[in-house]
Amino acid sequence: MDTLVRQLSRPAVPVHGEDDEAYGNAAEWGSMGGYGNLSRTGAISGMTVPRVLDPISFLATHTDNLSTNPEAKIKLAHGTTCLAFKFRGGIIVAVDSRASAGSYIASGTVKKVIEINPYLLGTMAGGAADCQYWETYLGIRCRLYELRNKERISVAAASKILTNLVYQYKGMGLSMGTMIAGWDKTGPALFYVDSDGQRIKGNLFSVGSGSTFAYGVLDQGYSYDLSDEEAQDLGRRSIIAAGHRDGYSGNTCNLYHVRENGWEFIGNYDVSQEWYKYNEKEKKALEHAGKAGVQGGSPMAVEA
Amino acid sequence: MALFAPPPMYADPTMAADKQHAFNPYSENGGSILAIAGADFTVIAGDTRQSEGYSIQTRYARKVWQLTDRCVIATNGFAADGNNFVKRIKQRLEWYEHAHQKQMSIKAIARLTQTMLYGNRFFPYFAYVILGGIDEDGTGAVYSFDPIGSYEREACRAAGAAQSLIQPFLDNQIYFRNQTPAPGAEPFVPGRLPLSTVLGLVIDSFTSATEREIAVGDGLELYVVMKKGRTTDDLVGSDNLIKNMQVQELGALGEGGSERTFLVSLPLKRD
Amino acid sequence: MGDCSFGITGKDFVILASDMNAGRGIIKMKSDENKIRALGPHLAMAYGGETGDTEQFTDYVERNMRLYHIRNHNALLPPAASAWIRRQLAQSLRSRKPYAVNLLLGGFDTTTSLPHLYWIDYLGTKADIPYAAHGFGMYVALSTMDKWWFEGMPKEKGVELLRKCINEVQSRIVVQFNFNCILIDADGVHQLDLSASDPIADLSRAPEKAEVEVPNPIIAAPA
Repeated sequence: MDTLVRQLSRPAVPVHGEDDEAYGNAAEWGSMGGYGNLSRTGAISGMTVPRVLDPISFLATHTDNLSTNPEAKIKLAHGTTCLAFKFRGGIIVAVDSRASAGSYIASGTVKKVIEINPYLLGTMAGGAADCQYWETYLGIRCRLYELRNKERISVAAASKILTNLVYQYKGMGLSMGTMIAGWDKTGPALFYVDSDGQRIKGNLFSVGSGSTFAYGVLDQGYSYDLSDEEAQDLGRRSIIAAGHRDGYSGNTCNLYHVRENGWEFIGNYDVSQEWYKYNEKEKKALEHAGKAGVQGGSPMAVEA
Repeated sequence: MALFAPPPMYADPTMAADKQHAFNPYSENGGSILAIAGADFTVIAGDTRQSEGYSIQTRYARKVWQLTDRCVIATNGFAADGNNFVKRIKQRLEWYEHAHQKQMSIKAIARLTQTMLYGNRFFPYFAYVILGGIDEDGTGAVYSFDPIGSYEREACRAAGAAQSLIQPFLDNQIYFRNQTPAPGAEPFVPGRLPLSTVLGLVIDSFTSATEREIAVGDGLELYVVMKKGRTTDDLVGSDNLIKNMQVQELGALGEGGSERTFLVSLPLKRD
Repeated sequence: MGDCSFGITGKDFVILASDMNAGRGIIKMKSDENKIRALGPHLAMAYGGETGDTEQFTDYVERNMRLYHIRNHNALLPPAASAWIRRQLAQSLRSRKPYAVNLLLGGFDTTTSLPHLYWIDYLGTKADIPYAAHGFGMYVALSTMDKWWFEGMPKEKGVELLRKCINEVQSRIVVQFNFNCILIDADGVHQLDLSASDPIADLSRAPEKAEVEVPNPIIAAPA
């Protein structure tokens, strides 16, 4: 029983200080070998850590790890707006596609929605590599769960795997704010998971540097009873709003819709083009309303 | 929460004072790399200057290496980390070949590169990596990475000292960004440019970068990976050769792969 | 996020209340997050502190309470549970990465029929007190409780006092709070609906509606 207690106690951080980047066991190569730093059982076997007194300040000195050290030579891809919300017709997931390293736009074509499996989506905010790597790893763990249990993993369990995983590295400089969205036995489910180890269930989230701007449109337009088209439009419009106001967000918007039979990719939209399109549309709607007002007619009146 | 959270160690002013004496295993060696994918070929190029600050360490240091018959890697940033990374990935590719009796596909090399870079998440390789080659369907492929392994497949990518000079030019010429077709003309389709045009763009990119960026110059090494069975006339045909340009075919590394890799060398200004 | 929680003991009960905010920086991402955890048939805690640490630590405590219950066919009594939890935090404080979690532990001792309330912080400080607050509540509502709490309070008065405290933080603290509340008595852990005019009457009228999911199902003692 004592072993049980030991298993329940907090596990040690699985980080080795030695040079185990080298492939210690020479017999473990080829198909028997690991995969990068994944061992052949799928576990994380070793992350190289510099042998200095304080590895965290080492990372903070040399990289712009948490977007707090713009002078650092090693720039990492950063910056985002992501949002997701539940509604009558499932879950809408919308993201932008810009990655910036300092003030340089490193890419305008990033896939910030990570397709974990046909029923699970993850979004990317914070460190691009952290999100890409650990959500791919989550995909591996979800597949192993399926093979072992002959049923799909719940969204709650999948998101818990991710939180526990990043919690092991808490304080070491991982930077990720992600939403895990999917459909399981309980219906649609949405979780926010971040590198602090926070995991919260909810109906509506927005994450990233542009999240405040996205919330501004999303909160005011949201209702659980939105139709599919209205919901998709709201998700897209919120990302466009963030792309317009936040310098670290923009380029294009990727839109996904999660339903009972899995997720569907709705489309990719250019932020600038959509902005003018929406502007035109909203201006017309206003003019229309104004005209109706002058004539003293009902705002519901249809133009002749 | 913030009431009791201890300040991070690096926020301590006494630690900040020590920073100058802190362990610094990194340098920055200048130079630039570039890759462009075509319909049935890929071009991967890099200059050969290696510098530190204002001084040139060598006028010939390689930044681009052939990994397999259909994959070439280019690294930029800190030369020691780049060289070491290439050495390690070559070892992993050799092990793979012994185990599977075949060369690794570029798609798999890309994922391997991610896991190898991310394995050093807390002690990063200061290396920007670009992979170029031919994928399983025979189309040109370019994968670009950040130093800790986030990656993306693209049609073109410039990295290094002159990335901010070259990338906007490529966006305009390869992706036709901010261009409008003349009235009645055919619409632009990215990724269909002929090899001769792409070669011209790459060479112009580097000669121009050499003019405006001190860390770029000396020489240009340009690898062309071609789909199997593709004509090579547009590269080795005599009328395509620029003055001082040398073209050399690199022999096959594996068995059965009929992709062909050429190394094009060209001098750049040395001042 | 600024946390806020309260605990009040009375004649035969203890009340725990906690705010329900969750978010990052200045952004509130959720205002209905439950931050009170039932740890046994007559034990629960309200928790706050460093995000991430809070969930991990309460999970750990909850599972260990369950393990004890399975092994011994009896749940830990509040005094023993408080000692064990305090010790975990004290040991954690001396580790490489301590849990930064503050909590209010409330329980009902079925052997003595007495309520218990413990104020515990991340340093491993424990105080056995009749009423307590953590977070913003400490600044504005401790005096409220000093003034209106009295020995042997009935449940209705307990709720009344809690309402005073909540009203105080809601009117004096810049951050907006919603509160979640439970009551533990001889019958176990119950949810209290603070929006009702008389939650205690509602509780005695329909106790099944106020049931809280307890991780430790009561196991029949061996014959």
